[in-house]
Amino acid sequence: MAEESRSSRIFLTIPSRLEWLDLVDKIASGIAIQMAFSQEEADGVANSVLEAGTNAIQHGHRYDPELPVEIIFEISADALRVRVHDEGRGFDADRVLRVDPTDPQCLLAQRGRGIFIMRSLMDEVAFEIGHGCTAILTKYRSKAIR
Amino acid sequence: MKASMRTEGDAAVIALSGQLMGGPDAEAVRQLIRENLEAGRRKIVIDIGDISWVNSTGLGILIASHLTVTNAGGCLKLSRVSHRISQIFMVTKLHTVFETYDSVEQALRGFVG
Repeated sequence: MAEESRSSRIFLTIPSRLEWLDLVDKIASGIAIQMAFSQEEADGVANSVLEAGTNAIQHGHRYDPELPVEIIFEISADALRVRVHDEGRGFDADRVLRVDPTDPQCLLAQRGRGIFIMRSLMDEVAFEIGHGCTAILTKYRSKAIR
Repeated sequence: MKASMRTEGDAAVIALSGQLMGGPDAEAVRQLIRENLEAGRRKIVIDIGDISWVNSTGLGILIASHLTVTNAGGCLKLSRVSHRISQIFMVTKLHTVFETYDSVEQALRGFVG
């Protein structure tokens, strides 16, 4: 991709149904590859966006297909930033972040890995909770490919 | 997600394709695991080579399958785990839980007895 001095934004809105996540996956992966992230980095971005989308559909909207999940991809010279917004009540971030799903006592738990996966694969993960919940996922480009 | 099943001697091979992401996927996999255990097959391979991605809910399905089979005295193995899914297994340390093999045949040979 040619060097960009300005950021570009791509907007996507999906109904709260898990089957739409495959489209989100393809777009997230395609954008990351287009930005010259490595395949492993692009997989990490796509896996993280999927987790944020899954949380929005499952926990934010409780599978109500009438409620839209909004996803904004912000492409800039130094980073890809993805905002995943739902209209739910949010969650207790401090409580969730205290849990380490790789702790031997938690390793066989069947839930509770989504945010951990995002934080492991992205450079920055933040949440804005107020008017709904927005996960903000950032992956920085290496200087060599900016 | 689509699922199919075949037997290889006293073992079962459950082949999954598409995306593993919870919802109805969980019941489909649970049903196949249950059917095999009820039929006395306790050596089970889940082939995920045609799964394009797994989210954390899909991981829960694999963990539930592992627990169900091991609690019944059986053994569950995974075959053809992609680089992308391996990435998730590594960060979550689930690579220490699941036995993984490059092919179904290798997984079947890995069963003892």
